[in-house]
Amino acid sequence: MSIPSRIPSPIPCGRVALAGVVLAVCALAAGAEQTPIEIWSWNIAAASLEELVPAFNERRPDVSVTINMSGANMQSRFLLSLIAGVGAPDVSQLQLVDAPKFNPSGRMMDLTEHAKQYEAQFSPAFWVNCVHEGRIYAIPWDMGPCAVFYKRDLFRRHEIDPDAIETWADYIEAGQEIVRKSNGDTHMLALSVAGLFDLFEILIQQTGGGIFDEKGRIIVRSAANVEALETLRALLDADIAAAVNVFSHEYFASFNNDKIATYPLAVWLGGSIKDYAPDTAGNWGVFRLPAVKPGGLRTSNLGGSVLVIPEQGTKKEAAWAFVEYALCTPEGQIAQYRNFDLFPCLMSTFDDPFFDEPDPFYGGQRVRRLFATDIDKIPPLTRTRDWNEAKRYMTQSLSRWASNRVDHDAFLADMAQKLRRKLGREIAPEAAPAAASETAPVEGAER
Amino acid sequence: MNAPKQHTLAVRIRRNRPFYLFISPFFILFGVFGLYPLLFSLYLSFVKWDGLTDATFVRFENFATLFLDESFYIALWNTLVIGALYIPPMFLLAFLFANILNARRLPFRAFFRVSVFLPCVTPMVVIAIVFSLLYSSEAGLFNFVLTGLTSLLPWEPIRPIPWLESEAWSKISVSILLVWRWTGYNTVLMLAGLQGIPEEYYEAATIDGASRFQQMGRITLPLMRPTFVFCSIMSLIGTVYMFDEVFVLTKGGPGMSSTNFGLYLFNRSFTDFRFGYASCAAYTVAVAVFVLSLAILRLRRPATD
Repeated sequence: MSIPSRIPSPIPCGRVALAGVVLAVCALAAGAEQTPIEIWSWNIAAASLEELVPAFNERRPDVSVTINMSGANMQSRFLLSLIAGVGAPDVSQLQLVDAPKFNPSGRMMDLTEHAKQYEAQFSPAFWVNCVHEGRIYAIPWDMGPCAVFYKRDLFRRHEIDPDAIETWADYIEAGQEIVRKSNGDTHMLALSVAGLFDLFEILIQQTGGGIFDEKGRIIVRSAANVEALETLRALLDADIAAAVNVFSHEYFASFNNDKIATYPLAVWLGGSIKDYAPDTAGNWGVFRLPAVKPGGLRTSNLGGSVLVIPEQGTKKEAAWAFVEYALCTPEGQIAQYRNFDLFPCLMSTFDDPFFDEPDPFYGGQRVRRLFATDIDKIPPLTRTRDWNEAKRYMTQSLSRWASNRVDHDAFLADMAQKLRRKLGREIAPEAAPAAASETAPVEGAER
Repeated sequence: MNAPKQHTLAVRIRRNRPFYLFISPFFILFGVFGLYPLLFSLYLSFVKWDGLTDATFVRFENFATLFLDESFYIALWNTLVIGALYIPPMFLLAFLFANILNARRLPFRAFFRVSVFLPCVTPMVVIAIVFSLLYSSEAGLFNFVLTGLTSLLPWEPIRPIPWLESEAWSKISVSILLVWRWTGYNTVLMLAGLQGIPEEYYEAATIDGASRFQQMGRITLPLMRPTFVFCSIMSLIGTVYMFDEVFVLTKGGPGMSSTNFGLYLFNRSFTDFRFGYASCAAYTVAVAVFVLSLAILRLRRPATD
């Protein structure tokens, strides 16, 4: 965008003149000479970035930011643009679990020089997913600390005390009471055998289980995972769940009615509740995730995303400036939590008074502090580049495990073999047969 | 012998350059968007490639893995079962509707024709929302009607059917959606087939005293055979490569119970990033579909007597 093109001049060739006019309009609209950068992101996250732009432009008026809501097939489009070597955005959002797939590709900008200074401020459980062979390729954005969202009126009507629920056993008991007192009109939670993996993922972080160890070996057969399965089966057997798929239309509709009383999920669900059921403000409360055993860990993590800068871009400096502002400054991260329930990965924000403000949407409860509690105690879950594939096999097999009431250890042993065959990974020696009788293998010891 | 022939072809092309220029867009587009991907995926069948790092040549390893991959067989089996569940009722309904629409005195003919075809052109997103509400085991219309109706009967009313939550029902649920969505398309094809049968045959048969049933059995059905064959091939290919119906309704679950071949391919390539392996599976099945289509085409022969 050169200056001369902004000066209207009688150029004989129509096409050149048109191009000049277009350029001039662009330049004028953007103010001075700006470096335009494009960012790909999705729904709430995209809106959240959009709101950061004005504040960012106060720091860097020379960069103009366009957020592109790329929708559901963003990942395949992103992949194709990387393969083609052209067409990738300057910055892109990725699911946290997808980052390990892209990190080693050599198609992401090496952020080590810029980002190393921030490492200590981020949650280590997330940071590991952004690093490959000691180099940093992505910056953690939001995380998904888990708790249970509940409807205050239903708990009041059925005389349930949310603070008395400390373990999953308590939770089941409360659920049965609600189902009984409501004559079956209200279920405790939505849980379908077709989608058990999310809850399984939440539970194995509470028990210290996992799918892969740090070396990428399979450790699915463990006492900790059996413990998670026992809890999951107890939830299924208690007859307190509505067979509704999480994130189905019916699920979102239930925010507005009395069908489901609680939603054990991650902090970002709050964004969806506000989106789908704004009129229910004030009626929501949050209690901490029930522990598997009395005194056990009362939080977990689900989901989260990162921002990456593709190597092919030509405006990497401007791209990094935006990423740095959005993710590595308390200002940027807190604004996103305030506006869109994106919980900061940047742990230095937790000291901010914002975390102790009462939230009117939750009846004045200080939910942010609740979500931030014990986050550093969640054991990191090693994802590997095969996470999505492993997740699919687990989801498929879990539905069979639930429907056919398969024995826990038999299921996990079978799963280990399946993962070994499908992914070509070896089974870690301590997770080989006979491990089930011992106590949980200590793969959280690294931290 | 060859040399002069080639020479004349070159000369002919040069002489008729404008005409070749006119037909060239097809060949260029086909080359870029048809032939090149076709050859490239053949090449991919013999490599390991995740799309991000360099491909490595593995000879027949993909094929060897494929023949031992139980998910591949489950996907094929599911495809077969879903096909068997929805194609016969769909054909019956389509044939019935085609005959009704073809009737000489039918009020609101245009309205009915549009109605029958409407599901075909409805966006899949809308269908997904509507059907997931119909199938909902908690508040779905299907279960509401079924439990309501059976509660009128003297014996125990049935329990709500877990349409999308059980391995036993998921294929049936997908099949019902498929019948609803594709009957219209086949009706139109069959209607065209019916209208292609000359009226004189029926007139002559009526004069000869043939009953309606005889006319159907001796004239309509034999002459419709090419249409049936065409519909069968289209349905075969459609079933194998079907994707969006399953993806939006069940995502292939619960378990793998409704994962057909199309979804399997999608998962292998775009979830697992195993493009070499997925291409290998696609090629293998494409060859099988080709052979099967040839077999179905053979069915057409006797009708030409």
